[in-house]
Amino acid sequence: MAVTDSLVLSHGASGSLVGRVAALANCSRIATVGGAILALIAATSLILPHLSPYDAFAPAPTEVFQPPSAAHWFGTDINGMDVFTRVFYGARYSFLVAIPTVLLAMLLGAPAGLYAGYRGGLVDEVLMRLTDTLRIFPGIILALAIVAALGPSLLNIILTLGILDAAIFARLVRAETIALRKGGIVESAIAAGNPAWRVMWVHVFPNVQQGLIAQTSVRAAWAVRVSATLAFFGIGVQPPTPEWGLMIRQGGEYMLSGQWWAGLFPGLALLLMVLGLNFLGDGLQDILDPRRRSREG
Amino acid sequence: MSAAPALDVSALRVHFRGADGRRIHAVNEVDLTVAPGEAVGLVGESGSGKSTIARAVLRLIEPTAGRIAVLGQDVAKLDARALQALRARMQIVFQDPWSSLNPRMTVGTLVAEPLRLLGAANRADRQARVVRLLARMGLSAGVVDRYPAQLSGGQLQRIGIARALVTEPALLVLDEPTSSLDLSVRAGILTLLAELRCEMGLAMLFITHDLGTLRLIADRIMVLYLGQVMETAPTERLFAAPAHPYTQALLSATLSADPMIRRRRDGLAGEIPSPVDLPPGCPFAGRCPLAVAACETARPALAPIGGDSHRAACIRAAEVQRRLPNHARCLSGEKRR
Repeated sequence: MAVTDSLVLSHGASGSLVGRVAALANCSRIATVGGAILALIAATSLILPHLSPYDAFAPAPTEVFQPPSAAHWFGTDINGMDVFTRVFYGARYSFLVAIPTVLLAMLLGAPAGLYAGYRGGLVDEVLMRLTDTLRIFPGIILALAIVAALGPSLLNIILTLGILDAAIFARLVRAETIALRKGGIVESAIAAGNPAWRVMWVHVFPNVQQGLIAQTSVRAAWAVRVSATLAFFGIGVQPPTPEWGLMIRQGGEYMLSGQWWAGLFPGLALLLMVLGLNFLGDGLQDILDPRRRSREG
Repeated sequence: MSAAPALDVSALRVHFRGADGRRIHAVNEVDLTVAPGEAVGLVGESGSGKSTIARAVLRLIEPTAGRIAVLGQDVAKLDARALQALRARMQIVFQDPWSSLNPRMTVGTLVAEPLRLLGAANRADRQARVVRLLARMGLSAGVVDRYPAQLSGGQLQRIGIARALVTEPALLVLDEPTSSLDLSVRAGILTLLAELRCEMGLAMLFITHDLGTLRLIADRIMVLYLGQVMETAPTERLFAAPAHPYTQALLSATLSADPMIRRRRDGLAGEIPSPVDLPPGCPFAGRCPLAVAACETARPALAPIGGDSHRAACIRAAEVQRRLPNHARCLSGEKRR
């Protein structure tokens, strides 16, 4: 909603939701492609597992490692479970990790960055050194260590990734806030008699949220990647959950012995989803950041 | 006994800590008074500290030393609540309306905001007042629902003025309100400000780098250089008999409307010096065409010259004044150098 709002603002256009979506599609082809990929993944993950005759969780010892056929389009895995059903079912886990992770990261990071950027001083110093510390570690390794220590559950993964990612959002919002503080909006707001909280939330925040929105998709891609990596190393969700990272791991072991399908299809699905999110994020940045706009929309 | 002055600044000093840790002397020992209803002009080049004074007056930045009293209240001593109440009585119009008006608020919201924060009127009353004020600014009621990006610079500055005046302040600080506008709309804004001043009995502190603008609107002018007052005089007196070489240089740089007049120009050589390492003597000595050795040693005091209302900080003020200002003696036949 906020995306379309800002679009209406920056283009002076208005109208129905359809019109707004059309305007968005017009702005960036890459965002449209990314959005279409994600919509397709979301829709199929909701619908296809129900249409499939197979259960995503039920082992079938007689059907182990069937190659792709008319009965099993993507073949079966080591437990005889239908890879097609599991791949589409697995997208749910990716969304289930990505969306709450990004929301949590924004919820923690945005106020911290806003406060640090606006107030400066000690709060700012402490926060920035903290995010520096998080940044010098590769995020994946830190996430591996923390989730391993906390125990592998979906909640722990979301909490860990969300907190780690909050640093990114905090830095982003802080930088934009500092840039705005030097501009006239903040002075004008203070002179008008706004108390500090109103200056931050009514005057500064609405003007930094564009950058925030543009980042969400890219950060969601990161969350999907890292949660798959965690599962791959056996620290994420546990089998027989149809999680892509887990399926890649299980299937990958048999890649060389000829059963390539069990690992390949979840791998392609993961690739497609991360690609879709990155496309969308890239496009959003083009749309929302006028400095990056290559052509007039 | 008369009412407290709208603005009374004494010995104001604002220093910043530069990126390299050195002290930047933005404003040094400035005294400034604006009587109720009076319009005082503050003129100087960029870097002279004029905008810093404006921000200190409104407590947008903290002064290093000195006292600022608005309507008799010491701005630095007020708690948050009292300061917020005072903000309704002192307002500012910024130089750049594009960057000072929140692009995500409608004009109606922007103009009504100070009233709303004051909690003075209900929503309907506020809207009515906003529409009335915008009409007075020469804007149609239709702009209320527009966003700043949909309006022109002249319209935006009128909205900036409306936002500043909606709480009916007693003191209005104008920080170069016309310098970011096209020449064609400047006159309209200045006329509007002059009218509003009479109607509302506003005291004004008008900050600009253009002396010509001040001639139209100011009762009294202060000339600022490197954060120090060089000369202060009633407007007509300053134009007729400037007593500081810097004022004379500024006057010679203002354009005349008469194309036949060709005047000698004391173009100032070089840039305004760095406010980091202030020279011990007169800050203008390095660029002054009339500087003597004594100028380098001691900072001249702001001394009266021909009456108490006219003061200049120059040890040779009397001579300078006799050396007839260029614009007063310029002859139509004089050749340009």
